[in-house]
Amino acid sequence: MLMEFSLLGWWRVVLSAVAGLAALFLLAPLGLLIALSFDSSQWLQFPPPGWTLQWYAQVFADPNWLASLLTSLELGAVVTLASVLLGLLAGFAIARGSFPGRETLRGFFLTPMIMPSIVLGIALYAVFLRLHLAGTFLGFVLAHLVLALPFSIVAITGALEATDKSLEDAAMLCGAGLWEARVRVILPAIRHGIFSAAIFSFLTSWDEVVVAIFMASPGLQTLPVRMLGEVRQNLSPDIAVVSSLLVLGTLLLMGLAAIFNKDAKR
Amino acid sequence: MADQISLSRAAPAASREARRRRARGFAPAAPVLAFLLLCFALPVLALLLRSILEPHPGLQNYAALLATGTYANVLENTFLISFIVTAITAVVGLPLAWFITVAPRRLGRLVFGIVILSMWTNLLARTYAWMVLLQDTGPINNFLIWTGLIKNPLPLYGSLAGVVIGMVYIMLPFMVISLRGPLAALDPAMFQAASLCGAARLQSFTRIFLPLLLPGLGAGGLIIFVMSLGYYITPSLLGGAQDMMLAELIAQQVQTLLNWGLAGAASFVLLVVTLALYAVQARYLAPHGRKGH
Repeated sequence: MLMEFSLLGWWRVVLSAVAGLAALFLLAPLGLLIALSFDSSQWLQFPPPGWTLQWYAQVFADPNWLASLLTSLELGAVVTLASVLLGLLAGFAIARGSFPGRETLRGFFLTPMIMPSIVLGIALYAVFLRLHLAGTFLGFVLAHLVLALPFSIVAITGALEATDKSLEDAAMLCGAGLWEARVRVILPAIRHGIFSAAIFSFLTSWDEVVVAIFMASPGLQTLPVRMLGEVRQNLSPDIAVVSSLLVLGTLLLMGLAAIFNKDAKR
Repeated sequence: MADQISLSRAAPAASREARRRRARGFAPAAPVLAFLLLCFALPVLALLLRSILEPHPGLQNYAALLATGTYANVLENTFLISFIVTAITAVVGLPLAWFITVAPRRLGRLVFGIVILSMWTNLLARTYAWMVLLQDTGPINNFLIWTGLIKNPLPLYGSLAGVVIGMVYIMLPFMVISLRGPLAALDPAMFQAASLCGAARLQSFTRIFLPLLLPGLGAGGLIIFVMSLGYYITPSLLGGAQDMMLAELIAQQVQTLLNWGLAGAASFVLLVVTLALYAVQARYLAPHGRKGH
């Protein structure tokens, strides 16, 4: 009765109304961003007095936006690569090893996930200041790697635990060394886990701003850091343009994920 | 024949070798452990140590945090805002997730798509949208004045209400996702049985539906509460000075006052509460923790 839409009676009306309003609440700000990016008024009037592409032209002509976009992409790529490699090492130890303290180690590897970003941010900032790593690309990579690694370890360990250990043993019986078996037999078997490890690692770095504030320097800013700086100074239409492009990017990714899922099911 | 012999000889040797290696198996984790000790555990410990060592050894930073009016206000604010945000996400998230589960397939998927789209959109883009929406001359106030409901704009931007709205917006998808599994696990036949036994909808709702969803609500609520406690960007952009939360206080102490001792103490408080709440969840709310209940 409660779990069948047609049998909900007048509850259905209430439920649909609340859900509709909640969906509107979630969608409206994203729609507003897109409307504002074409708003001809510099003061973000809504509804817009007229439409223009001038803010898009302005953003594309600004080398700083492009530079921070490239920084974000580059950082995301390096963090993803390192995170998957370390995630594989940790995954093999946790899923295949049997040493004392294994579960403690698993717990420790996952703690950065629940660490408030602000605490990690200033803790690393203090250390990196001493080591002259603050404001460097390497410092950025190390900081984001701490945040990305737990997601990679969860995805890869999960995939390894779901894969039959005897695959490895069989490969070794056929004369492969331990790591040859792991690379040539196990890696292809857990490719989905590796893929999600990579996606989560990249998105963690791509969307991260709190730790990034403390790692950035005026010459080295990721896209979110630059956006934050702009938002704090003035509510310029530039941000609406960059935000709209990010919403569009998210939509494209969701479309790709839907297609990918359909293919995987077939 | 020769092959067979060499295989039968090699096999026990190889499996013994494998067993010996697996008995250890720790080696690959060593670089990961070293990295996380150096770039995570030690820096955090060093920060916490500073809270009792700077400016001189003692507990004065903790005393200042709890006894100074402004700092105590920040602590109170942090818990208050996190609690309100958690409560609202639960009240709105439950019907939303329920609708997504029971609505006709296409409609449910569309609404879930909206939830995911908002969750995956850059945090700053979303917060910026709310900064515009909540202004005195923003769309919300303009609309309310146009309808004649209010004469003067509501002080939304730079207020507690603004912080709560912005944070609910960000946390709501997490609640929906936490409730989707528990909702999908509810068997429609159970409610049919209840109705056959004469239960009205309200009775089914309060006596079957809610109790069965309580663990999911608890788990989602806890995650949202803990995340809210440490939230920095959204409150700092949408709130006023009087709505400061703990994470902003920590950032301010480091960035403008260079008071690392107090920042360390505030971090310690945040960390202890976070870990304690996760421990509660692991003990009482995680599925394996409920065995025998």
